[in-house]
Amino acid sequence: MADARAWLLWALTMLLSASFSRNPLYSFLLLLVTVWVYNTCVTAEEHRSPLTPLRFALFTIPLAALFNALSTHFGRTQLFRLPDWIPLFGGAVTLEALVFGAINGLNLTVIFSSFTTFNRALAVRDLIALTPRAFHESGVVLSIALTFVPQTVRSLQRIREAQAVRGHRLRGLRDWAPVFTPLLVSALERALMLAEAMVARGYASVAAAVHTRTRALLALGLVMLLAGWLGALFVPAARAIAIASLGMGVVALVGVVWSMGRTVRHTVYRPRRWRARDTWIVAGCAPTLILLLVERGAFYYSPYPDLAWPAFDPLVGLGLLGLLAPALFAAPPPRERHDDPLRTP
Amino acid sequence: MVRRLLAGMIYALSGVLGILAFLYPFFMPYAPAVSANAIQRQVAPLLTAALVGLSLLALLLELQEQTLSAKTVALMGVLVAVTSVLRFIEVAIPMPGGFSPIFAPIIIAGYVFGARFGFLMGALTLLTSALITGGVGPWLPFQMFTAGWAGMTAGWLPHLHKRWELPLLCLFGFVWGLLYGAIINLYFWPLAQGPVEQSWTQGLGLKDTLLHYAGFYVVTSLMWDLIRAVGNVALLLLLATPMLKALTRFRRRFHFEVERG
Repeated sequence: MADARAWLLWALTMLLSASFSRNPLYSFLLLLVTVWVYNTCVTAEEHRSPLTPLRFALFTIPLAALFNALSTHFGRTQLFRLPDWIPLFGGAVTLEALVFGAINGLNLTVIFSSFTTFNRALAVRDLIALTPRAFHESGVVLSIALTFVPQTVRSLQRIREAQAVRGHRLRGLRDWAPVFTPLLVSALERALMLAEAMVARGYASVAAAVHTRTRALLALGLVMLLAGWLGALFVPAARAIAIASLGMGVVALVGVVWSMGRTVRHTVYRPRRWRARDTWIVAGCAPTLILLLVERGAFYYSPYPDLAWPAFDPLVGLGLLGLLAPALFAAPPPRERHDDPLRTP
Repeated sequence: MVRRLLAGMIYALSGVLGILAFLYPFFMPYAPAVSANAIQRQVAPLLTAALVGLSLLALLLELQEQTLSAKTVALMGVLVAVTSVLRFIEVAIPMPGGFSPIFAPIIIAGYVFGARFGFLMGALTLLTSALITGGVGPWLPFQMFTAGWAGMTAGWLPHLHKRWELPLLCLFGFVWGLLYGAIINLYFWPLAQGPVEQSWTQGLGLKDTLLHYAGFYVVTSLMWDLIRAVGNVALLLLLATPMLKALTRFRRRFHFEVERG
């Protein structure tokens, strides 16, 4: 399995290219790439989700096409007319608007399926490893929660069995109360024990308070983000300054996260190693990222006002195929998923 | 004094930034830089997603510093676990529409433990259940923010006489059931609309945008959200009384102190 950071880069590249691509041919290519990666990198036992990319596509694309066709009345190829007295939907229903909506649905499907692949290909532990260190306390809550989930599932089963012995049956919603209350109370009991144990072991007793300077920087970063964003939107004359302010705000926030993370002492039990496969994935994302930076115009396509066949540049298509890297360099051996929080032994 | 001022500033700024980023489709038509430039329009949804993510990060940094001691860490972790298990049941047994059992516990926890706890509880519950059910994606910061707001506003509710507590929480749950869908759609809408030409043409004013959004909302999500709102009320009717009782009792029990000898 590849490194979580490489996977994240892959998913973000997918997100970027799907949001920029208006050209249905490229979007369709991206969808094929994702489905291929999904089928290679996600093992059969992880196909638990009721919402596979295919089902999402079958639902989203027609819906987006239909809504857009009904609510937008641009385009010259009229299919039929709805009476004008209907608010919003009244007017001409055009083929162009239908196509435009379908492209939107296609792009949404690409985004959805690439992130589904990202989620399913990685173990929960690797996803948590992506959280920055500054979020230590939130991370502790998260890992307590994830540790307690299987325990909660088990105690749910125990309580249900105990209630079933007493003749209780789960029929409607109302029958959940005698199950939920003991579940909650026993969970709170465990929380109390855990809190006592943590206090007894000195958790957070010497936690360094965050420096006033750091928090001032945090506030300043937010001010710059807000000012920069609104400036870039509403004051075209000061665009350069606004973008600089936006950039400085991002730098300030990232700096705060980084410097707060440095104060958290934290050791990794099983460090992940960066392998050649990960470098290949990054290299596979590179052509698409470069295309997005340099040749964004190539992704542009508009069905309005007259529907025309979108252009397809084989070189761009070849660049997008680099995103197949996770599938091409996938590790074939079957993997045990020890840390699945929902599987009870 | 300076600390409190800074904390207040961080809450206010990240709140304003978050709300504006959610509402941007409505004021975007008035932005001269955007309506003139096609590339800007394409960047806009991504930029707002990044802004929501960043302000969420800032708010979480500040809140975790203020709220999470050893005791609340354990309490919140366990509450999040129980709520996420409820969410897992939802995924395993498909319920009708947008029904989701996670809001009732978030609202009750926010009501009992206050606004800060409520925000963190909402945000971290969504994060945990996204990790478990495989729902991490660009939509996650929006979901975390919105669920956090549900928990936070629950902390602002007045603590009335016992008789009015349940109706108040039910009404609140109903409103948030609808509101959650409407807010989350704001993220989804510009993408579903397509970032060019049609929706953000220069002439399109606030009224048309609102009308457009209303149409989108009624067609795609009103039924879905109504089911969620009614489900919230049903769950709150069922769970609020025992859960309030248990949480209030445990809130007292969590006030233990270690004697330093």
